[in-house]
Amino acid sequence: MIGYVAGRSILHRAHPYTTLALAGAVLLGAFAMTRPLQVGLLVLGAAGFAALGGGATLRSSAKPALLLALPIWVLLFVLHGLLGPEPRVFFGPVRLSAAGIATALVLGGRVTAIVLAFLTALATTAPHRLVEAMTAGGQPFGRIFLLSSTLTVLPRMRERAALILEAQQCRGLRLGGSPLARLKALGPLALPLVLGALAEVDEQVLALDARGAGDRREGGEGGGGAARRTALDPPRDSTAQRVVRWALLVLVLAAYAWKFRSMRG
Amino acid sequence: MSALITLDRVSFVYPGADRPALEEVSLRVAPAEVLLVTGETGAGTSTLLLVATGFAPRVVGGRLLGARDIAARRCTVVFSRPWTQLSGLCSTVRDEVAFGPASRGLPRETVRAAAARAMDALGVAHLAGRDPARLSGGELQRVVVAAALALEPDAIALDDPAAELDPAAADALYAALPGIAASGTAVLLATPDLDRAAPVASRAVVLERGRVVAEGAPGRVLDGTTVAVIARAAGCPPPLPLDVPALARRVAR
Repeated sequence: MIGYVAGRSILHRAHPYTTLALAGAVLLGAFAMTRPLQVGLLVLGAAGFAALGGGATLRSSAKPALLLALPIWVLLFVLHGLLGPEPRVFFGPVRLSAAGIATALVLGGRVTAIVLAFLTALATTAPHRLVEAMTAGGQPFGRIFLLSSTLTVLPRMRERAALILEAQQCRGLRLGGSPLARLKALGPLALPLVLGALAEVDEQVLALDARGAGDRREGGEGGGGAARRTALDPPRDSTAQRVVRWALLVLVLAAYAWKFRSMRG
Repeated sequence: MSALITLDRVSFVYPGADRPALEEVSLRVAPAEVLLVTGETGAGTSTLLLVATGFAPRVVGGRLLGARDIAARRCTVVFSRPWTQLSGLCSTVRDEVAFGPASRGLPRETVRAAAARAMDALGVAHLAGRDPARLSGGELQRVVVAAALALEPDAIALDDPAAELDPAAADALYAALPGIAASGTAVLLATPDLDRAAPVASRAVVLERGRVVAEGAPGRVLDGTTVAVIARAAGCPPPLPLDVPALARRVAR
């Protein structure tokens, strides 16, 4: 299941910026890694990151990560393995490009690590804690809403899809049969899902406006600018977590410095 | 008493529409009154709420003609579907209700106090720690009204607020309206549920094709509805039933 999974692991208790910084470091670090071994270590690092979230997090992020990455792995091996440059090595009856396989391993590893890291961040970052952290940090409402909506859109769409599915099945929709029949059954599901979501957007915009979202400051100095929202229960940040975030930034910068140095060498 | 909202021959046209949703509407809304706005589907009741509270055309677009004066410092609106009005950013009812005052950047204690007052007024204080997404429709709608009240508005517009509620939840919601008005907030209530709305309204406005066709005390204005006329002819004593289900209940008794 993609989305937030409640828990009390160290990642769940961490400041949301720390969790996101870890995922961001994996993302940026992945593009600094150019060799299969390096990328392999990064994948292990991402798996370790997921393990910090506890068993439930690992299950909820590792399986979808692998399912998402698997077709990409296949595609990369076919593309680079078959069409890559000489020399070739034998994999059973198939001759594959050695350099192509290395490229496929690097690219596939990057994708796996990035997807795993972000699904872990998604599974361990409670949207309301992120909202409070961003509010306390003085972020504008529009940015907070955009990020939070992105984090919660999947669970909300899943709930809505389940309701539509039940309603359509009550009206005779059959989901079994051949892949083509299943594909055809997607229409009655997808259309109301998308149209329903769009139809409610207007009302949601009005409701948010009516509740003061993005309000202007009332009078006083600087009146007319956007009011800074009050954070009601901001998550606790600590010096140790700030040090970790800075250390991650330094690590990423060092990885890129090392990459460009070795490219010139 | 000076009016919070004054409309003088106001017409309103939605973007892309070829005929106005409201035509030459004149209306005054006073503080602490419950104004019932009713009419058939498409009569323009929802539009009148949006225009009176300033959300049309500011948020929904369109063209406004005529003179509108909104002296109310703050207006808010609640729609019939409670789930579309959640912020989506809060994990508890307490935070959901506090969302509005928090958006204004008020001090944390002030925000918490405003939220607590609003939850008490709507009788949802016992739900404070619950996830809003897990509430029943009736509970959620009362939370949404409390969230609107937490803004401490001068005027609150309720657009068919009980449409999705069961009878008990609808009764509870309407019962809270006189208390809200008594605190000084003008309540603009658009609904076809006349039987519940008329007893709590201090004044009624009937719209037909975007025009005001009757205005005054609910008992006097709504006595002219078809159901009321039939009930009167059938010898029902006042208060007359105003809609078909109410008439059916009266006949059954």
